[in-house]
Amino acid sequence: MKKNNKKTSKYFKLSTIKSLHKWLSLLVFIQLFIWLGTGIFFNWMDHDKASGNHYRQAMVKQDIEHIRLLDPQAVLIASHLPASEINLVQRLGQPYYLLTHDKGLYKHFDSDFSLVDAYTGVTLEIDKTVASALARASYNGTAKVSTVLAVEPPIEDFLKEQNSLWQVNFSDELETSVYINASSGRLVGHSNEDKRFVDFFFMLHFMDYPLFGQDAVGGFNNWQISIFAILTLLFCLTGLIWTLELLIKGRYKFK
Amino acid sequence: MSLHRNSRKYHKWLMLFIGLQFVVWSVSGTYMVLMDIDYIHGDSLVVEQKQTIAPEQVSYSFKQLLTEHPQAKKIELGLMLNKAVYRFSQNNEKVTVSAQDGQIISPISEGIATEIAKQNYDDKSVVISSVKLITETSLRELSARHLPVWRVDFDDFASPSFYISADSALLVTKRHSFWRIFDWMFAFHVMDYVDESPDNKLLRTVSILAFVASIFGLVLTYYRLAPAYQKRRKGKSRRVKLSERKPRGAANEKK
Repeated sequence: MKKNNKKTSKYFKLSTIKSLHKWLSLLVFIQLFIWLGTGIFFNWMDHDKASGNHYRQAMVKQDIEHIRLLDPQAVLIASHLPASEINLVQRLGQPYYLLTHDKGLYKHFDSDFSLVDAYTGVTLEIDKTVASALARASYNGTAKVSTVLAVEPPIEDFLKEQNSLWQVNFSDELETSVYINASSGRLVGHSNEDKRFVDFFFMLHFMDYPLFGQDAVGGFNNWQISIFAILTLLFCLTGLIWTLELLIKGRYKFK
Repeated sequence: MSLHRNSRKYHKWLMLFIGLQFVVWSVSGTYMVLMDIDYIHGDSLVVEQKQTIAPEQVSYSFKQLLTEHPQAKKIELGLMLNKAVYRFSQNNEKVTVSAQDGQIISPISEGIATEIAKQNYDDKSVVISSVKLITETSLRELSARHLPVWRVDFDDFASPSFYISADSALLVTKRHSFWRIFDWMFAFHVMDYVDESPDNKLLRTVSILAFVASIFGLVLTYYRLAPAYQKRRKGKSRRVKLSERKPRGAANEKK
């Protein structure tokens, strides 16, 4: 490290390092305090609360009378669209065939599904009533459903989601929202005020600011943070060189 | 004045201990924000699968499957190398059976695992360098829930590995050098080098000290750059120079 310092001092003047450190501090200090503050918050926060699943419960599963199950071959023939997968799932205690017509690498990627009653072959459309009942089944609170809305991405509670969802809002003290995939009826997740609070801190930590006409994306690959990361890296390195210089010059002394 | 001097002292001393972690935070943070997260996850290495199931590929039904395997859960009809197969869970294990005659296929052989890896890999010109069956793991990059698994290494940039589950015959994990570096960067960022959990005591202590050290730094920035103080400082340094000259002058007079 000492060698390094000698080398760099050949290329940079130490006064330049110090003046860079000073001016960089002015550029990055606000974000630096945000990073440190939110970092301490993540360290201290209640991770269970942050999940947004305060009122979530496992959906009840019924035994399947497998004798009544339709032949998948017939289901494939009856389907308008070809399928790459058929899953035997349950929706509200009833067995359904979930046909995958188009599927991304992850669940939140753009996909296309249809649901067929596994006993009768009747197609199930996830409408407002079904979505509301599905959300209700995943919720163990006592509050009532206040509104059911069809939402399209970008969805603030699940920024990475690329599919159309039903947002089922409950009138509880946590403002719980339950999200149901509009084509598969799958429970995407629960969100509430606690989770939104933590999400806000993540937005600050990732500098995922909806600025200059660009939306927040729920991630940390954005140009604001790239610029600030590089500036902060320079800031820390100039600080390191400064500290090494003080060490070499013997400025660290116990009196 | 004493605030200025104390801030300098505390900033200097605290940064001697915390400064290195600042460098670690900024290096790891910069790495993580500059790397495209989808590339890190290996998503760009995977080719999108577009095959669909033809009805005539399925002559074995869900009904027959549940008669033969009454404990089967999460049953799905899908594809394995263009053949229709059923995958299901049984006593926490995945089982794959043929959708043609219900014959148990899993655990799959090395040859099939290699074929599946090749089919999923985007660049068809790349050759496989090694294939290995893993039954127990201490690797950071592989979760124990995927075992047993075939590790298929490709002879390509950043040494990618695809992990193909021996039981479900699915691509379960994709890793490459930049993911491996990213993983270490995250561990160093949250100062938990084993479990990578951000709620550890070491991180808490260091980040609070870092916050305090930064506040002293901000005080220094203020004194360095505040215009009112700048004037006083210049005035002061001139006075210091004058006072330095004085004794010398006095000494000269004596001579």
